[in-house]
Amino acid sequence: MIELYHLWKQYQPPRWALSDITLHVKKGDFTFITGPSGSGKTTLLKLIFREILPTQGQIVIDNRNILRIPDHKIYRIRRSMGIVFQDFRLLFQKKVFENIAVVLQVLGIPRKEIRRRAFNALRLVNLHHKMWEYPSQLSYGEQQRVAIARAVVNNPKILLADEPTGNLDPELATEIMTVFKEINRQGATVIICSHDRELIRHFGEKILFLYKGKLIRKEKL
Amino acid sequence: MQIIFFLEKDLPEEQRDSIENRLEESSLVNNVRYISTEQALERFQQNFPDLQGIIENIEINPFPASFETNLAEENLSPETILRFIQAMREIDGIEDVQFNRDWVERMQSLSRLAKAIGFFLGGILTLASFFIISNVIRLNVFARKEEIEILRMVGATNLFIRVPFLLEGIILGAMGALVSLALLFLLVKFFPLYLGASLGALEEIINFRYLSLTQISMLIAGGVIIGFLGSLSCLARFLKV
Repeated sequence: MIELYHLWKQYQPPRWALSDITLHVKKGDFTFITGPSGSGKTTLLKLIFREILPTQGQIVIDNRNILRIPDHKIYRIRRSMGIVFQDFRLLFQKKVFENIAVVLQVLGIPRKEIRRRAFNALRLVNLHHKMWEYPSQLSYGEQQRVAIARAVVNNPKILLADEPTGNLDPELATEIMTVFKEINRQGATVIICSHDRELIRHFGEKILFLYKGKLIRKEKL
Repeated sequence: MQIIFFLEKDLPEEQRDSIENRLEESSLVNNVRYISTEQALERFQQNFPDLQGIIENIEINPFPASFETNLAEENLSPETILRFIQAMREIDGIEDVQFNRDWVERMQSLSRLAKAIGFFLGGILTLASFFIISNVIRLNVFARKEEIEILRMVGATNLFIRVPFLLEGIILGAMGALVSLALLFLLVKFFPLYLGASLGALEEIINFRYLSLTQISMLIAGGVIIGFLGSLSCLARFLKV
């Protein structure tokens, strides 16, 4: 499903953010990437949905080399992905509902259907009662859940999440993880960056350890 | 403006009638009046009683018969008037045409000058609006940078992202056209009042009239096109994938 071949990424010489990463994530996997801050977890995710390009190496998703896809066609790949950003990236001048709906509007889904699916996605993260509020009226943890709802509303084939439980209390974190598991059970490939060991131990199936841009260990529980 | 067509001497009646018909059918002139040689003589005697003697000394009547006409509309272009006069002059039976050539020619050069100034200013203003719209859109693109970023991440096509900006450019252009039409309307309506009597003789020459429907729609279409192009040029530069 996701194949990375000898990926190198350098933002500023001489430090390598990622060096020689080769890994394969199979369809339907539930994978954690862990490692200390600055180890390259976020960079790795950004490369997978092609927000950034690698300095060297190849990325194959669904048997397509995404580095060879022209810029104006990259939206096709992105439509099959749901992404939870570390900084959420919500639209603060738009209501919670609109933040979720935008994913479906882009696909040209009818309005009624958008409402239904957005409501369901928000219910999944237990925020449906705040559908008509603005993100700024929500707590940090709630904003994070909006970001999660937005990532899953489209039933993505690939779900990428960057520290999705970083600001949630343990109970809520467990709940969110259950949501991810459910999406995974429905067939999505899930990759989560986290350094919450408790959570990883509890939910992890495959764990990749990054350290200073290198893949130092793979574990299967 | 008056145009007088002098007829040849002893013109047969049919020929005179055909010239009269021709003048009456023309949309350029109205009030076609026939002045016979006798009427012309009479008029001369009335207008210049002091010159009575001269006429009495000549035994024949020296005044040719003529058709006196008025221009149907004051704001005809000088070219049209000259072309009409030239055509009439070639008709058998018309000896000469008298009109205020000086005036026509002055109007001609005045209107040419006005046109040149109009094109010059129009060109500059068109360019200016193009760049202003382009810049307004650019500011909007920057203001909505985050939103655009997010739209990209969730798989929006280029078109989906661009259409709102293009529409905005088009609306700006159309609104600009409408506002300028409104201002022009006020100008046409109230400027003559403001000038009032000081306009004097000029009132005959300068005709304050509003644009035709074609011109109005062309102006709006122009605004829309400029808005669209301004927006497009901005997006091509600042909204790359």
